[in-house]
Order: sequence, then structure tokens, then C-alpha cells
Amino acid sequence: MIASGPATAAQARPTGAGAFFCGAGLHKRFGGVQAVRDISLTVPRGGVFAIIGPNGAGKSTLLNLMSGLYQPDAGRMIFDGVDLVGLPAHKRVRLGLGRTFQKIRLFKQLSVLGNVIAAFHIHHDIPAWQYVIHGAAFERDHARCRAEAIKLLDFVGLEARASVLAASLAYGEQRMLELARALATSPRLLMLDEPAAGLNAADVERLVERIRILRKRGMTIIVVEHNMDLVMKIADRVLVMDYGQYLFEGTPLEVQANSAVIAAYLGA
Amino acid sequence: MPTDRVRISRRGWFLVVAVIIALLPFVIQDSYWRTNLIVCAINIMLAIGLDLLVMKLGVPFWMAFVFGMVLSGAAGMALSIFAVRLRGHYLAIASLGFAVIVHQVLLNWISLTQGPLGIYAIKPPPDIALPGLPVISFGNTANMFYLVASFAFLFYLLLDQLVRSPIGETLKAIREDEISASAFGINCTAWKVFAFGIGSAVAGAAGAFYASFVGTLVPDAFIITESFTILAMVIVGGMGTLIGPVWGAILLTILPELLRGFGDLRLILYGAALTLVVLFMPGGIAQAAQMFRARLGRLATATDAGMRQ
Repeated sequence: MIASGPATAAQARPTGAGAFFCGAGLHKRFGGVQAVRDISLTVPRGGVFAIIGPNGAGKSTLLNLMSGLYQPDAGRMIFDGVDLVGLPAHKRVRLGLGRTFQKIRLFKQLSVLGNVIAAFHIHHDIPAWQYVIHGAAFERDHARCRAEAIKLLDFVGLEARASVLAASLAYGEQRMLELARALATSPRLLMLDEPAAGLNAADVERLVERIRILRKRGMTIIVVEHNMDLVMKIADRVLVMDYGQYLFEGTPLEVQANSAVIAAYLGA
Repeated sequence: MPTDRVRISRRGWFLVVAVIIALLPFVIQDSYWRTNLIVCAINIMLAIGLDLLVMKLGVPFWMAFVFGMVLSGAAGMALSIFAVRLRGHYLAIASLGFAVIVHQVLLNWISLTQGPLGIYAIKPPPDIALPGLPVISFGNTANMFYLVASFAFLFYLLLDQLVRSPIGETLKAIREDEISASAFGINCTAWKVFAFGIGSAVAGAAGAFYASFVGTLVPDAFIITESFTILAMVIVGGMGTLIGPVWGAILLTILPELLRGFGDLRLILYGAALTLVVLFMPGGIAQAAQMFRARLGRLATATDAGMRQ
């Protein structure tokens, strides 16, 4: 069901059978650097799919290709039956692809609540004229968005900080707000780019717990991570990359036992 | 519910402002100051229009008023195709560059504009004759003030509602971080074009009032210093807020008149005042007012706590 291989990747066609997200033969070059080389992956519906690898392995680039921040030089991507190549990032969000950023990108001059409300962009249900003359539909939408936003802030433990500026949040809180904002788009596939980077042990624990809840609700989650500990705890499948290329794919236990992976991590 | 209270008090403020606007011409009988009031109102519109973006075209009346709004909105959107790649100062410089182009076109498109001679004897808006009421003529400065000020007020209201809707959050999100905004499904280019269009349309309405109020249109009315003055109103008032440009427009319209007594020295004073604002109040009057209110608030809570002890 989950199939990808280094040699056959370029020929592999996204089959879609049982696959939720399918990428085949993805390439991305920046100047002289081949950031992603011939990567194929098949992510099944539901569960947590982790992408790991040493620094500069091309994990974030792969995620940026999937979310539409970059377009691939070659390769195909199918999400739930829709061809993604060529679609800009903002259109992919409407298909149900949500993401967070490794380098936190909050709207710093907006309140914590404002950040989440801005992320509700695709969910508003207001007749055009009510944007300038606020009527009943506007008030309904406004109340619904606020309630939903507060629910999400509650979920990540930030409800008490709703009215402060995002810039004044502590680092760990900023990471959690990134998560709440991504959830505001109601993604079916949530992509987290190093969500645990810079978090202390207690914050990581809280994050793991949130990811488990989301997984239980049936959300499909892709995690790009550095923190092996976290990956081993939550991932159902792990794709290992090194120097932009496929290195290994398997369950967390298989990954831990694989000599090529150990060599890449230990630099042997 | 605290939010309800805030909303009611906002409506209350709008009412107060409306009443003040209505009373102003009675307080100010001097036609010179009335003229300044009208220019104030025009500038408020220009400045809040510019706050969303810069552009202006002058045209004759009512049909032309609507036509002018649509035309400048469309022109702004067309210009925005080139401008969406630019941000902040670069965008401001590009709009000023556009103003230079407009000036040259107006100077040289003689069949349309009569070149440097300009267009004269533009009539004020036509009289309004309501049954049972005396005819309202806009040759009268008081009536003209009501007309322009009502529109300034109306545009302020509509734009205020617009930025208080989710569109406000969308535009702020784009201002803060475009990559992040696109990750929430925001089409940054489309929304920037929209903002250009709205800003230009409001400025277009101001242009229509300008032409019919001054009565003449010469290309030199569209020189770059004029654009600078309006940009200055936005900066002094406070960019990114709606009320800021209103204060900026009032201050920078009245200030040069107050300084008239100083002769040529007034230009130096004016320049110095502008420099000081930019240096010490980068967020403009709006930010200064906010800081002042915050300090008052802290003072109030401090005395409150002191009394309880």
C-alpha cells in the first residue's frame, strides 16, 4: 500500500489506490543545489507520516513543493484525486492542504485571535454587500468565526492569550499559534514543518498530545522533523531523506534498525 | 457583552462627528475658513483613499462623479498589475513616479486637457430642488461643504466597515507576511488589486469634487508636490489606520494657513514639523493618540488600585 523505491521512482505512476497524497519523481533545484532529487512518496489516508533526515536533506523543500510554495522542476503530485502541479499555494488550501512553517511566520502586529481569524479566510459566508454594511449574515459569520477561533485557541492552550499581540507570545506559544492557524483552514492533510523546533520537553509533550488527538479525529498528518524522539512516538510511517534523495522508508522500528539511516545520522 | 458596548460607542462617535460636521458652517461664517473646511474634507477623502492607494483623476459632475470613481478604480487596478510586486517605500515611490507620468500626459494631451492652459469654468454640482424645500445651490460654500463632508463621512463609514470585516484581517495578513497569508488560502495578488481599486475609486470621487469646487483644472494641480502633500497627510496621520489620515488631512490643510503670518518662514516651519513627526512619531498621530490613551488607562488603573489599598 505504501510503496516507493529509489530505482523505480521516476517511472512510478501515482496509483491513487488507497493513497491520499501521492508524489512521483519530484525534483527541485536551486541554482547549483539539487534540493530534492527524484522523491516519490505515497501517504495513506489517516495516520501520521513523518519525513526525517539530517540538516539540508531537502525535507522542508519537499514540504514546500507539496504545499505549493514552490513548483517542482519535474514530477507529479496527486492529492485525493486532484493533480496539484501548477496550482498556487492559496488554491491548494481550498482543497484541504494546511501547513505550518519551520521559521514561525505569524502576523506579528495582529492579536492572537486576529491571527486565527485571518486564517479563516476561505470559510467566510457573507454576502458581498454586507462587508460594507454589516447585517445579520455578517454578525452570524463574525460570531461563528470568533467561537471557532476561541475553540482552536482552547485546543492549543492559548485561550487566555487571545487578545495579546502575536509578537508578544513566548516562543513555545508562537509554535502552538502556528498550529491553531493551520487548523483554522480545516485541513484534511495537515503538514507540520518542524513543529517541535526550539521547544522544551514539556512543550514537546503537549504538542505530541495535540497531534495524537488530531490523528484520532481522522486527520492525515505529515510531520517534517528533526526530533527523532517525537517521530518515534507519533509516526506510523517514516520517510528518510539524505542529500535531497530517498534513503529509506518504513515503520519507526524499521528506521531505527536500518544501518543506512544510522550512518546518515551519525555521519559515518 | 463588552464587544456590544464598544460597537454602540463607535456608532455614538460617528453620530457626534456627524453633528459636528453639520454645525461647523454655522460656527465658521468666514468664507475663507469655509473654503479651508471644504479643502479639508476633500483632503480627508483623498488621504483615506490614498491610505488604500494613490491615484487621482479629475472629472466634471454626478454622472461624471460615478464615472470618475469607476474610471480611477479601474486605472488603479491596471496600475496595480505593475505595482503588486512592490511594498512599502518602493510602492510609494512607484506611485509618485506614476504621478509624474500623469502630469506629463495632462500637459501634452492638448486635445483633451488644453495642455498647460487647463480647463476652466467647471460648474459646481447642479442645484438640488426637493419638493417643499428651498433649492439647494452648491455655489454656496456652506452647501458645498455639507456635500463634500457628507461624502467624506460616508466613505469613511464604508471603509471603516470594510476594514472591520474579515477583509481587514485579510489585508493586514498580506501586509504582515504574504507567504504565510497564501498558506491560508489568501490570493495576495487579487486582494492587492482590490485594495488599489477601492483606494483609487475613493480618490477619484475626491477628484470630482476637487474639479467642481475649484472650477478649473490645470495640469499643475497634479504636480508631484501635491502627491507628496497627500502622502505626507497619510504618514503624519498614521499609516495603516483609517482615522490617522483624517487627522493628517485636517492638520496639514489647516497648518499652512495658520502659519501664513510667518511669511516665507512658514515653509521652513512646515518642513520642520513634518520631519519631527516622521522622526519621533513613526506611527503618526494615530499611534501617538493610542500611546496617550494607554498611558491614561494605566494611570487610571494605578489610582484605582491605590484607592483600594
